[in-house]
Amino acid sequence: MSLKKFSELFGDLDSINSTNNKIEVLKNYFLSNDPIDNSWAIYLLTGKSNKRFISGRYLKNLFSHIYDYPQWLIDKCYLKVGDSAEVITLLLKNKTDSRKKKLSNISLNELLSETIPSLSKLNEEEKNLEIKNLWERLPEDNHLIFNKILTGTFRVGVSIGLITKSISKLINIEEEIISHRLMGDFKPSIDSYEFLINKNINLQELNSKPFPFLLANTIENKIFKNSINDFQFEWKYDGIRMQLIKRSGNVSLWTRGQELVNESFPELIEKMSHIKDDFVLDGELLVWNFKEQIAFDFSLLQKRINRKSPSRSIQIKYPIIFIAYDLLEINGIDIREIKLENRRIELEKHFSKWQNKTENNISYIFKICDLIFPKDWPDALTYKEKSRENNTEGLIIKKKTSIYSSGRKKGIWWKYKVDPMQLDAVLIYAKAGSGRRAGLYTDYSFALWKDQELIKFASAYSGLTNIEIKELDKWIRKNTIEKFGPVRSLKPEMVFEISFEKIQISKRHKSGIAVRFPRITKWRKDKKINDADSLENAFELMKKIS
Amino acid sequence: MRTKQEYLIRYKDRNLYCELADIWIDPSKPVKQALITHAHFDHFTFGCEEYISTRETAILLKERVGDNIKIKTFEYGEEFKINGINISFHPSGHILGSSQIRFIFAEEKWLISGDYKLQKDETCKQYEIVKTDYLISECTFGLPIFKWDETNKIANDISKWITNSPEKTSLLFCYSLGKAQRLLNEISQTNFKGNIYSHDSIHKMNNIYKKLGIDIKDTIKIENKKKIDELKGSLILLPPSLSKGSYLKNFKNIQTAFASGWMSIRALRKRSGYDKGFAISDHADWEGILEVVKKSEAKNVFFHHGDSEALSKYLVEKESINVLLFGK
Repeated sequence: MSLKKFSELFGDLDSINSTNNKIEVLKNYFLSNDPIDNSWAIYLLTGKSNKRFISGRYLKNLFSHIYDYPQWLIDKCYLKVGDSAEVITLLLKNKTDSRKKKLSNISLNELLSETIPSLSKLNEEEKNLEIKNLWERLPEDNHLIFNKILTGTFRVGVSIGLITKSISKLINIEEEIISHRLMGDFKPSIDSYEFLINKNINLQELNSKPFPFLLANTIENKIFKNSINDFQFEWKYDGIRMQLIKRSGNVSLWTRGQELVNESFPELIEKMSHIKDDFVLDGELLVWNFKEQIAFDFSLLQKRINRKSPSRSIQIKYPIIFIAYDLLEINGIDIREIKLENRRIELEKHFSKWQNKTENNISYIFKICDLIFPKDWPDALTYKEKSRENNTEGLIIKKKTSIYSSGRKKGIWWKYKVDPMQLDAVLIYAKAGSGRRAGLYTDYSFALWKDQELIKFASAYSGLTNIEIKELDKWIRKNTIEKFGPVRSLKPEMVFEISFEKIQISKRHKSGIAVRFPRITKWRKDKKINDADSLENAFELMKKIS
Repeated sequence: MRTKQEYLIRYKDRNLYCELADIWIDPSKPVKQALITHAHFDHFTFGCEEYISTRETAILLKERVGDNIKIKTFEYGEEFKINGINISFHPSGHILGSSQIRFIFAEEKWLISGDYKLQKDETCKQYEIVKTDYLISECTFGLPIFKWDETNKIANDISKWITNSPEKTSLLFCYSLGKAQRLLNEISQTNFKGNIYSHDSIHKMNNIYKKLGIDIKDTIKIENKKKIDELKGSLILLPPSLSKGSYLKNFKNIQTAFASGWMSIRALRKRSGYDKGFAISDHADWEGILEVVKKSEAKNVFFHHGDSEALSKYLVEKESINVLLFGK
């Protein structure tokens, strides 16, 4: 019923590793709390709310100001803890004396729908006073949740799948239905929770929402034993996966992250609304080079994603296209259960005509995904290797007889990605991480040779195991040349294999190149720094590809 | 101001050393004469010619080093002289037998805090406030993010943790000397009434505590368990060294926890690899250190065993206390 219960739930979820136990804990929580708090809990746990009411910096300044606490001391603590909300929570434990009457039974709903939103209506001074007041009145156990919600940093190791599973168990309805209900805009309310746990499946209400996405698996060797004719081949585009929906005249565009993004791509919404049919299309959104008929780099798409209501000039500068590769529903009929090859026929039947028609020509914003027809598996490999030429990441291989189910089901769609590019580079800088990596040196910079000099070319955060991270952390501490704040320059000694997806010229970097998705794929303890690659090697790699 | 060479106690080869008495405090290498504050492994070493400690520490030391060491013992508060320097042990509240050591020479008082805590602990003597001119204090938890909860609250949390999972075997990892006995004492006062097992290394320490008159709940040696099923719903105390590797395969359906002050930080808790962390420490928290510094009335303070940067700066800026640095 309360914030207190939710804090306990958070503590439990935080300390349980087993998925089944987490589901059990969630189920019990939902059973013992009222619908409105449950809907808020789901809202928080699924990360649908990361609205930041105040910044972490503001929180720290405020604490410093209220309690006359030296800022440098808070900063020092932050280095150890790695999370502003938690630092302030821990420091508040030293401030227990001036406590007023406790708000021990405040509900999650009250806190989230009234108390916190009303802070934004106050002027700065009033807001500060109110936060102080809340700190003093909320029981200590609730401070962490409160501070995390304030700073928009509430995160816990619970996936949307886990919530789906626990609700599915709670009411005994298939996960697919629950995951369908959980998609998109989930507004916390008694209604939305009751809709979620409604045992009667109401198609009307489900109508505005996208279908759960079918995801591709990484290719396995066994597939090469099948006949090539069993599969449909497409290029794997490096864009954003989306469902484009038109039902009862309304068009909506959904990302796989369950975000409705109509506002970012108004030109697509407008064009598609002229189509007579109702439909649900699965496809990829890209910024498209219409002259050469290939995708522009993903970095251009990034310029569009986070921009709402883009101006006409932005729309022209970064022209988008929706490439449809599957039709899931047509004029109200769900066709996900029919075979892919037949869905493809339907897709072409209904949409080819719109591409050719002069009036309402949608070919400048919409396209049906081209198919590729390798004659055998070695031929498929040749296609894959060529994929960089048209700015794709490889192939998607789909079983022709498959139905459109949800999730990463095996044996339906496969991704056959082009191998990453790799260079061996020398570790030269390390920076302390934050969050769960606080206090460990986990952010690394790598360099390549240019004559006798090591030039930084990429930074990477991932790819090492926890054990390797600890080992490297130890080494870093012992082999520091200089410290600049949180960054250490290191004795050039360690060589790592760095993999990345793309390499291009960049004037912004001293090295003259920029790479995409750099990550550590191997700690080359067998290599000395003289064995590391040079910038020349990097430029050669770039030439080879383009 | 005096130079560091003139200090009665200084750092030499990374150890505290009193040249005038030619005596080392908690040395990490074999020396002629070693004053030992307490019997944790990081506070003494094998092979010293002579050890000097409290009576309790001596018994624990012998258990760990062997009976054949030469060791001189004194009661808390009892003064003895070495080269004209008056030396005495005073309770530090860390573990059984743990002490602060005071030196008095030519009207100048020096106090080495040893490891200490102010929280109540029925398994050892309460920390005694000792006045001094120079204080050498530990500062393991020298940041204000460290603020210990009441011990009984932690004990109740542990009790709940066990009883909420009656199907499981609860493995609580803790240092075998001091922490284990304190936990046993506290847990026996909670609602948890199930069986408690302990690893041989802990069991040995329990027995010494009992011999020295400390009331510790009986535990069953885990090595003596008969069937794996009898462990369901019970608590097992184990040293942290067994938390990794194959030892855990001896059990089934377990949940694990670590009892340590570091567990108050979420990132450390998550990284530790234990399911749960209980923030209970035998060291002083930030406020504890500040209290000791103030109540000791020391005009000059040194810190060691920890990151003292924040603490030093804070004392200088906020409390106008002179914090000195040892030459390395």
